[in-house]
Amino acid sequence: MADGGHASTPDLPLTEAQEGLWFAQRLDPGNPVFNTGQYLDLRGPLDLPAFRAAVDGTVAEADSLALRILEAPGGVVQRPDPALRPWLEVVDVSTEADPLAAAREAMLRDMRRAVDPARGGMASERLYRLSSSHHLWYQRAHHLVLDGFGTELLVRRVAALYAARLTGADPGQPLGPFAATVAEDAAYRASPKRAVDAAHWRRAMEGAPEVTGIAEGAAMTARSAHRAESAIGAEAGGALRRLAAAHDIAWPDLLTALLGAYCCRLTGEAETVVGVTFMNRFGSAAARAPSTQMNVLPLRIRPDESAPLHEAVEDAVTQLARLRRHGRYRGEQLRRDLGRLGAGRRLHGAIVNIQPFHEIPAFPGLTAELHLLGTGPVDDITFDLRTDPGAATLRLDVEANPNLYSAEEARAHAVRAAHFVTAALAAGRLADVPTATPDEAQRHVFEVNRTEHPVPDTTLVALIAATMQAGPDATALRFEGRSATYRELDRRSAALAAALAARGVGPGDLVAVSLDRSPELVVALLGTMRAGAAYLPLDPAHPAERLARILASAKPRIALAPAALPGDVPVLPPADWPAVGTVPAGPSPDDAAYAIYTSGSTGEPKGAVIGHRAIVNRLEWMRQHYGFTAGDRILQKTPATFDVSVWEFFLPLIAGATLVLAPPGAHRDPAAIARLLREEGISTAHFVPSMLAAFLAHPDSRGLEMARVFCSGEELTADIRDRFHATMRAQLHNLYGPTEAAVDVTFWDASQGDGSRPVPIGRPVWNTRLYVLDDALRPVPPGVTGHLFIAGVQLAREYLGRPDLTARAFIPDPFHAGERMYRTGDLARFRADGAILYLGRSDGQVKLRGFRIERGEIEAAIAASPMVRQVRVIAREDRPGDKRLIAYLVPARDYDVAALRAGVAARVPNYMVPSAFVALDALPVNTSGKLDRAALPAPDLGQGRGRPPETGTERRLAALVAEVLNLPEIGAEDDFFALGGHSLLAVDLMLRVQQEFGRDPGLGALFEHPTVARLAAVMDAASLPPGDNGLRPLIRLGRGDESRAPLFVVHPAGGIAWCYGNLARALSPERSVLGLQAPSLDAEVLPPRTLEALAADYAARVVAAGQPGPVHLAGWSVGGIIAQAMAVRLREIGREVGALALLDAYPADAWRAEPEPDAGAMLRALIAIAGHDPAQHPDLPMERGAVMAFLRRGGTPLGRLPDAVLDGVVRVVEGNNRLVRGHHHGRYDGVLTHFRAARDHAGRALSPAMWTPYARRVEVVEVPCLHGEMVGAAATDLIAPALRRVMGG
Amino acid sequence: MADGTNPPMTRERMRADIARALRMDPEEVGGDDDLNDLGLDSMRAMNMVLRWTEGGLQLDFGELAERLTLNAWWAVAERATEKRANG
Repeated sequence: MADGGHASTPDLPLTEAQEGLWFAQRLDPGNPVFNTGQYLDLRGPLDLPAFRAAVDGTVAEADSLALRILEAPGGVVQRPDPALRPWLEVVDVSTEADPLAAAREAMLRDMRRAVDPARGGMASERLYRLSSSHHLWYQRAHHLVLDGFGTELLVRRVAALYAARLTGADPGQPLGPFAATVAEDAAYRASPKRAVDAAHWRRAMEGAPEVTGIAEGAAMTARSAHRAESAIGAEAGGALRRLAAAHDIAWPDLLTALLGAYCCRLTGEAETVVGVTFMNRFGSAAARAPSTQMNVLPLRIRPDESAPLHEAVEDAVTQLARLRRHGRYRGEQLRRDLGRLGAGRRLHGAIVNIQPFHEIPAFPGLTAELHLLGTGPVDDITFDLRTDPGAATLRLDVEANPNLYSAEEARAHAVRAAHFVTAALAAGRLADVPTATPDEAQRHVFEVNRTEHPVPDTTLVALIAATMQAGPDATALRFEGRSATYRELDRRSAALAAALAARGVGPGDLVAVSLDRSPELVVALLGTMRAGAAYLPLDPAHPAERLARILASAKPRIALAPAALPGDVPVLPPADWPAVGTVPAGPSPDDAAYAIYTSGSTGEPKGAVIGHRAIVNRLEWMRQHYGFTAGDRILQKTPATFDVSVWEFFLPLIAGATLVLAPPGAHRDPAAIARLLREEGISTAHFVPSMLAAFLAHPDSRGLEMARVFCSGEELTADIRDRFHATMRAQLHNLYGPTEAAVDVTFWDASQGDGSRPVPIGRPVWNTRLYVLDDALRPVPPGVTGHLFIAGVQLAREYLGRPDLTARAFIPDPFHAGERMYRTGDLARFRADGAILYLGRSDGQVKLRGFRIERGEIEAAIAASPMVRQVRVIAREDRPGDKRLIAYLVPARDYDVAALRAGVAARVPNYMVPSAFVALDALPVNTSGKLDRAALPAPDLGQGRGRPPETGTERRLAALVAEVLNLPEIGAEDDFFALGGHSLLAVDLMLRVQQEFGRDPGLGALFEHPTVARLAAVMDAASLPPGDNGLRPLIRLGRGDESRAPLFVVHPAGGIAWCYGNLARALSPERSVLGLQAPSLDAEVLPPRTLEALAADYAARVVAAGQPGPVHLAGWSVGGIIAQAMAVRLREIGREVGALALLDAYPADAWRAEPEPDAGAMLRALIAIAGHDPAQHPDLPMERGAVMAFLRRGGTPLGRLPDAVLDGVVRVVEGNNRLVRGHHHGRYDGVLTHFRAARDHAGRALSPAMWTPYARRVEVVEVPCLHGEMVGAAATDLIAPALRRVMGG
Repeated sequence: MADGTNPPMTRERMRADIARALRMDPEEVGGDDDLNDLGLDSMRAMNMVLRWTEGGLQLDFGELAERLTLNAWWAVAERATEKRANG
């Protein structure tokens, strides 16, 4: 085969375009996303010899396909190697059952294989023969050697050569030489033009905003991309060309500007930056030389949505013209120039790529259809538009990073972007175009709000009167051990109502109620409503000044209180209430039931007035939806001034159930609540989530059982939900609603089995509608954040005495004429399934360095540490312009801020790691139980920019960074990239780190953790001690794909899990490995009493770790026994167990029969744990001092531990021996995989079959090693693949 | 779009179209002037070539982009016209 005549060429440098790609591939060598690929579906009689000649002729001309890229002493070089030319392979799949599927599968398999640029194999040309008249021509090339334009050059050349052979036509010019493009690149780099371009870009990007993507998260390419397709129709295509022609704009530029406007709309910002592709071929040698040249440059999108379309796009069009004049300047270099490096500081978000010359050339006698398989790395989302010069229809391909977008979201973007462009062209003005498509708007405005449900048109008073008559002898109230019947409640409330009526109180009036929690309080609320009036609860504990303000604005007719209140309102104290009286006529459904004051954001309290029809809807929904009956016992512990109390008081009374009043003050005491729940047999209770967290942290909450727990008032985090289910047994329901809409308007079942992260607030209750709208009150599509609005029967009538505030908050419902909707001030987002996520207050949104930050996620990461009992994260701006995240927490045992910071840094992106952790005795709460932000102390962030390096690791790292950056000194919080570090310096730094520390955390670690402090935390977390980090009850042994379920490994006898290091490395990078270690390594922690209790504790820690997916477990030796018990426990609490892998572990039964070990046996065990074979050291005296000295000499990690810890290990070994002997296994209803040490146990009756009674099925994998070698490197090589198989996807 | 309203491509028409895109007089565009230096950017060129191809001439933008002079472009166009005549 001819090789095209370009014989051995000398080594070439990389072009600037290649450097960035080479570096990215080097960061992640196993990543196949750098493969670009496509195939042409060729139908018709293909002349195979002619086609082969055409492809091979093209391959012979295209040097870049035969490149090898090597790291040489003088830098990275590329070398065309004629031996590597990818000549056409022909694969016959015609005999396959489904030839098309077989060919596609083969292509996708090939695409998924990462290419090592040093070895070549950069490109592949294949023809799949499906039948004599159907072929697929597949082309794959590494993005380092080819871009989209280059691929089209190849296709056109092959078509020309094929046609020439068949028809004798002129084959045209051969492809250009690759070396010329390299020379051109070098010339540009050396030219003054480059400096001019650099200056242009700096100017153009002055004042550009931090980039927020459409989706949240770090935009770093994954290993694949979602692909979706739609089209912009011929009519819109025509309109596009007409509008462009009318205003002398090139239509591709107009289209770019419109797609940019779409992206801007979705980010919710006034300005965003998109990337636009620049093919870099105009007037260049690369115009005909296959190579990679494509450049992505920033385009600032800041449209005036209210202007006519051609004016709205003018700014973008002008920028595009300038961009082309300076388009050779590499985007990667610009990013370095601007210091926008690291995961959080991007140059642009979405990419828009328009290819108006997308014409598939003619193959004589054949039809050809293009199918894209991959176009290279996708950091965020790419909108690709292709069209033939003559065609009006435009094809839109969307590629999206699966770490940021679901496949469904990618599809939705394809459809929605096409629709947005079409609608904008039709409307002539961006402001008139809703972001959501008509289908999406229909679904999320109307369909998810189909909540119509019949509810009797009555009053709360009538409903309660009916229950009182139906069961007068039933227990209505319980308080401090005493009961009252419905008859009694009826009599007393009727008498009070009569007394109020006698004083002229009736419908339309307000009665203030200021009483501690007591039966009198219930009588007061009910009596007031039976008189026809609305009650106004006041908290006797509130400051007198606030009470005075409320009383002055609400003007109640009378107050039910033990003593006089501020102002001149007449008071009727309980002592003066009559015992009997005739109940007055009462209210009508149109009358108000109660008015509750809430704090306004301005500090001025606002009184929301709720009518009977609204609260009847809310209570009847709850009663029927959850099936409340007369048998329920509902706890009332919320102060009456907080609207949750409304259902606590009255739901039992309309269900004929029992209302159990907590003693005053008890609602803040977890022990008192637990006692009450148990003693009173409570079936239903409410908790504010932060209170629930405190409650669950209290030991008395363990093992509680009740029917249901409701949460509302704050965000219920997934972490609290999971801890709830690990601690107690009850349904858990998350409710949401403002005081302005009759307590709650949405519900979500967060019971066992709910794995949502974050936990949604759910869907609307009966006769209620929820809208998520943008600033212009247009519906937003699912996945996009907007403002939450509520409409329907539950809305408050007004704010008392404040028509101005009422008019501002209750506005016309744009979707239902004549109705109102309430502006909640909350941010929310629809999930694709129609459930709503609460995203915080719109005025309190946390945004740092361009990232929208969900505090809940950080809180969950912190709360996962056993060192923390409670935590809240807030953004503070104690100095103007210096916004920082601060974590306020209540520490548990062994609190160590450095270890906690390291743990958090390992779980969340660096921009989400709080600047300070402030430990408090308790989190301050206000009277309604919510966090009192004003009472939180300002953190001490030290002086100046950042603290100096402190730990040894920090100091060593700081010295290296200072050296590399040539700076005198570096602070612990200084960012490597912000100080001028760039990719090449990063490589240098990591080489030095490797030399200094003897291990390489990987370049990726520097990008993720660019400060000395964070990188040090990563280094420390990845290593064994110094410090006690390696002894925490749950440690990370290996980091892998966070979206996959990790493997939990359980320590063997000594309580330490470091022995699984080989296994963790073998499973990296696809899966994280987390080690469970004995908490009682710490002498302060009491050892567990039974192995079952130990397993339950570990299971709870696993649940609290909040990892996705089924729980995979593995344990060696004693660790296996514990792992089996954990699996049983996890099943009990409803968690799915994946793999249960026992590494040469045998049931407890086998050990009960053995003689009790002596002290020497314990020390021998310790030696074995340290990795030595005791049998190899027969001369070593089996006494403590000698063994310790041996371990210290031995150089194992164990030998470096302080004495106290070694003592702990000895203690744990003894304790585990006792636990194992006392343990009786339960049956695990699943598959147990046993890895047997096949060379061991000769002459002993240990067999995997001993597990048969304790598992549904036992699978055995033979590993040719001794028991002690089970976690060694050789055995791990055999175990890891089998384990990978068992764990599956 | 090849509806006959487009006159056949000639060197003079090409020169006039280029000049119009550059807001210049046709006489100002020399046969060997670098069009990039005269201010032609890739999108203006593409727009122009799009109109020519819509007029029925099969032009390869890659070939045009390689050398940016009127003479080079006209050579490409001539080849394309011949091909069309032969094909």
